[in-house]
Amino acid sequence: MTWKHVCGVDDIEPDTVKKFDVDGINIVLINLGDEFRALPPMCPHMEEDLAESGVCTGGMLTCTKHLWQWDLRTGTRQDPAEKDVLMYDVRCEDGKVMVSISEELKYEFEEEDDDDFEF
Amino acid sequence: MNVTLRTKKRAYEFPCEKGERILYAALQAGVPAPYECASGTCGTCRARVKTGEIDELWEQAPGKSSIKPERAEFLMCQCTASSDIEILVPGNLAETTADSNPTAITGQLSNGERLTHDVMRFHVALDSTVAFAAGQFFVFQVDELDGYRAYSMTNYETSVSNLDFVVKKKLGGGFSERLFNGDLDGEKLTGFGPLGEATLRDDDQSDLLCMAGGSGIAGIMSILEAATSTNYFERNDCRGNVIFGVRTMDDIFFANELNAYVRSNSNRLSITIALSDQPVSSDSEGSIDFASGFVHDVASKLIATNEIADPQSSIAFIAGPPPMVDASIRLLLTEAKVPAGRIRYDKFN
Repeated sequence: MTWKHVCGVDDIEPDTVKKFDVDGINIVLINLGDEFRALPPMCPHMEEDLAESGVCTGGMLTCTKHLWQWDLRTGTRQDPAEKDVLMYDVRCEDGKVMVSISEELKYEFEEEDDDDFEF
Repeated sequence: MNVTLRTKKRAYEFPCEKGERILYAALQAGVPAPYECASGTCGTCRARVKTGEIDELWEQAPGKSSIKPERAEFLMCQCTASSDIEILVPGNLAETTADSNPTAITGQLSNGERLTHDVMRFHVALDSTVAFAAGQFFVFQVDELDGYRAYSMTNYETSVSNLDFVVKKKLGGGFSERLFNGDLDGEKLTGFGPLGEATLRDDDQSDLLCMAGGSGIAGIMSILEAATSTNYFERNDCRGNVIFGVRTMDDIFFANELNAYVRSNSNRLSITIALSDQPVSSDSEGSIDFASGFVHDVASKLIATNEIADPQSSIAFIAGPPPMVDASIRLLLTEAKVPAGRIRYDKFN
């Protein structure tokens, strides 16, 4: 497990979705107010850039493109979202937000041979 | 041709005539295929060819930015089947709850009055009657080469043979320029519909919060007509708020109609016109209020001052250009705390 320093805990306002490049891997970091979540940068539905389309309020992330939603505190998806979001482990220490990135998390549609059309 | 549309859960089979768009064939057969604009701009109706051949009708469709053609993905609204085909659609399809399926229609277009320097009415006299829900739209084409354009009806009756629309003149917009020049007056057209789910539904009982930008007011007019004619606000002991955004006073249209809706729904309907490019000279005129700013800015102020009370229990309708819709959705989710399931929207590209 590789913990990477992404930013300071005060660098992102609460309820804000912000994109970071962490050693060549793009993530979005979301400040829930008292916790942080780190996700791949796109919506698992139609690959919208969550730094643009993502809205977070009360721990709920909404992609404004088609109103898919996830409760980021529990990780559960809300109707009508059909896919879960992937999340990296996050911890805060000494005022720093650290994200565990050993390899890039990808949604199925990014894989060459196993995507959401294959069933 | 026969189409087999597969999702992870089940398969649907339906016929597709030569030249017919696969999306329209699916919807006409009652298959709840995913779509939003049905006219090539949004990319929501993406699918993948598994077997068989398709023909693409609009190679430059903006919605293609959402698909990977190299992986046999395509837009169902912009392709026809040229053989029997098997296609794959991602996700689960919501079963349709509509009373009837959309269908192909024919009719005759006629020009209506010019409402502002760049907005005019037009009408379509259908060769048959249709039923639609307030807030829905049709797609039309005059020439096959032109492709389909989506327009929301401004009128509402349970069964109609005349559909009323507004169109905004766009530079380089072939259809709107030809309409404004009078070139399409009296032309025969073909269409498909009714389409869209940003509608006022029979079981709705809540306050309505309607946010419209420019010609996006069209579907909201239909909703106001339906609400007024069915006594919606009094029947449900609820209120309506409409915020209609235009650039300047000279860009306002439907003022008389909006005033009439306010008067007909005594004290239960408030309408504010938001001027984005001009300070307001008076706070109200007739029964309509005025405010400066974009639609979402004005909505934010009205919510903060409690002039829009309990927005979180409202059903919100949003229609207009994508940036306006996106900003409004953002406001509703964050400041107004409207649950996503109560937001219904149309984005017009």
